[in-house]
Amino acid sequence: MRPARSLQSRLTVSVLMVVVVFWLGALGLAHHEARHDLEELLDAHLEQGAALLALQASAAPAGVLPHYTDIAAFQVFQGDRLALRSDNAPATPMFELPAGRTSGFATLTIAGTAWRVFATRDSALDRRIFIGEREKSRTDILDALLHSGAIPMLFSLPLLAAAVWWAVRRAIAPMRRMGALLRERRPQSLDPIVIDHVPPELSPLLAALNGLLGRIQTLIDTERRFTADAAHELRTPIAAIRMQAQVALGESEAGPREHALAATVAGCDRATRVVEQLLTLSRLEAATVVPLGPIDVCGVIGGLAAELAPSARAKQQHFAVEVPEACRARGEATLLAVLVRNLLDNAIRYSPPGARIELTVLAGDGRVQLHFEDSGPGMADTDLARLGERFFRVVGSGESGSGLGWSIARRAAAAQGAVLQLRRSERLGGLHIVVSLASV
Amino acid sequence: MRILLAEDDPLLGDGLQAGMRQLGFVVDWVRDGVAAERELRALPYAAAVLDLGLPRRDGLQVLSAIRAAGIILPVLILTARDAVPDRILGLDCGADDYVVKPVDLHELGARLRAMIRRAHGQPHERIAALDVTLDPAARSVQRAGVPVSLPAREYDLLLTLMLNAGRVLSREQLERHLYGWGQEVESNAIEVHVHHLRRKLGAGLIVTVRGTGYKIERGR
Repeated sequence: MRPARSLQSRLTVSVLMVVVVFWLGALGLAHHEARHDLEELLDAHLEQGAALLALQASAAPAGVLPHYTDIAAFQVFQGDRLALRSDNAPATPMFELPAGRTSGFATLTIAGTAWRVFATRDSALDRRIFIGEREKSRTDILDALLHSGAIPMLFSLPLLAAAVWWAVRRAIAPMRRMGALLRERRPQSLDPIVIDHVPPELSPLLAALNGLLGRIQTLIDTERRFTADAAHELRTPIAAIRMQAQVALGESEAGPREHALAATVAGCDRATRVVEQLLTLSRLEAATVVPLGPIDVCGVIGGLAAELAPSARAKQQHFAVEVPEACRARGEATLLAVLVRNLLDNAIRYSPPGARIELTVLAGDGRVQLHFEDSGPGMADTDLARLGERFFRVVGSGESGSGLGWSIARRAAAAQGAVLQLRRSERLGGLHIVVSLASV
Repeated sequence: MRILLAEDDPLLGDGLQAGMRQLGFVVDWVRDGVAAERELRALPYAAAVLDLGLPRRDGLQVLSAIRAAGIILPVLILTARDAVPDRILGLDCGADDYVVKPVDLHELGARLRAMIRRAHGQPHERIAALDVTLDPAARSVQRAGVPVSLPAREYDLLLTLMLNAGRVLSREQLERHLYGWGQEVESNAIEVHVHHLRRKLGAGLIVTVRGTGYKIERGR
């Protein structure tokens, strides 16, 4: 990309160009006006000259008068006879007046020189008088006028340029200050930029910049928090794996060694699950705007129920899913799957062997409601309140868990605009979670 | 050395208990903060390994409470909270050591031994009384430079008496030091162990204080 020209030079050049164009226009207009007025004045002079010549011709003898200036010339004809002329005038009439006119002006060329000529005819005396003036003398006056106007302008142009340069520089000083401030900032610094006396033209830019800095800060905070959370969540499973492995290494009896090795494997499974959950959470956090559309809730649930049924069977749990013929809701299929999977997984994981786990879907009143109920241990009211806090997990469940499942379910629900409610199950005694989606 | 382990994670707690037992510690394992505080108030543990994110009562609350109650046993915090402010807070709340998970089993053992030794005013790794020298790290005993092999229980009894040199310990106190939960104690177990120790290490080492208990004189 070619670097754009600086505002400073752009503004300076633009202002100067406008000034010069206006100056030239004004000069042209002045020239035109002056030319017009001068023509009128000098033509009147020619007429006056002709009148004086008429008087003089009556008294003076015929012949050639020596000239005193070469810018003017005249001829007096008596009938067809040249009665009087200046010595720079030709012997023949300078031009013929159109018939029926007693006087008139003409611009013509005599012997290679342009002249302005006035002619008058006195029919009573049968006399014609021509008086002319060189065009050049007229343009000389005009040129002199033009010069006297243009030359000061030409000389003041550099001064004007300097003045404009200075003014522009002063005007864009806040921008330079802002630039300097940004240049001096440490790359880690994301606090809002504060500049005193911000001109109104700059404040939208500053506001946008500060908004961007704020968003980056939030993003970095989220990332940082996520990394810290991830490290925290993984420390305990890894500590367990390491400890159990060391126990196995140091154990001489077969029974305890096998126990420790089995615990090591279980620890690896648990760490894997935590990693998967963290990845899910991180994806959920990254996907701030999810395109929502009509989805087949029953289809999503059917697939997951089949997938999770074996783990419930392994704990001899009674797992029942009841869905209507068809239920469509507004949401996002992948997110709904994440939500349902985590809630069902939690229910299976935290309910004891032989427990009942039921998922019922009800449609009506413009909502599609998913009811998760179990006969597991449920939760104390204080625990219900703390659920979803960082690192919180219910105690005494005997299951290794990180408490991430609920966080995931909550975020997956929020991303779809779904309402998530949690209470004690009246029917089964454990937890009763209601996920409410808008139907389509 | 009887240690209280407070850890709510089943896998890690199980591993810590098994590992510390391998190192010769007697380990009682509790899974929440309320139980931890109750046990620490009730029994003379040599040291405690305390997780911070404990259910029902946070580890720091437990620590502050027992320190306020004047219980001075060495406490090692074992936690996933690795931030410097957390470490400072833990130590300022009365912890003697702060270890971030994961931890090496043998390092944990060494830290516990060092804490226990210091708590008993023993600056040296080896403890001596008369011509008997005890090396807690190697769990070995020498008499006049000659290694003496001792069963675990006899070694633990000797270590307890040597750490508390100069102090009389009753039979009940010694039993509480030596046996964890669910371990059957024969009514005359301590007498039998003392008898064996006297046979192997000389009659003069362990002194019987009539009607009170046993002691080892402070070594030079």
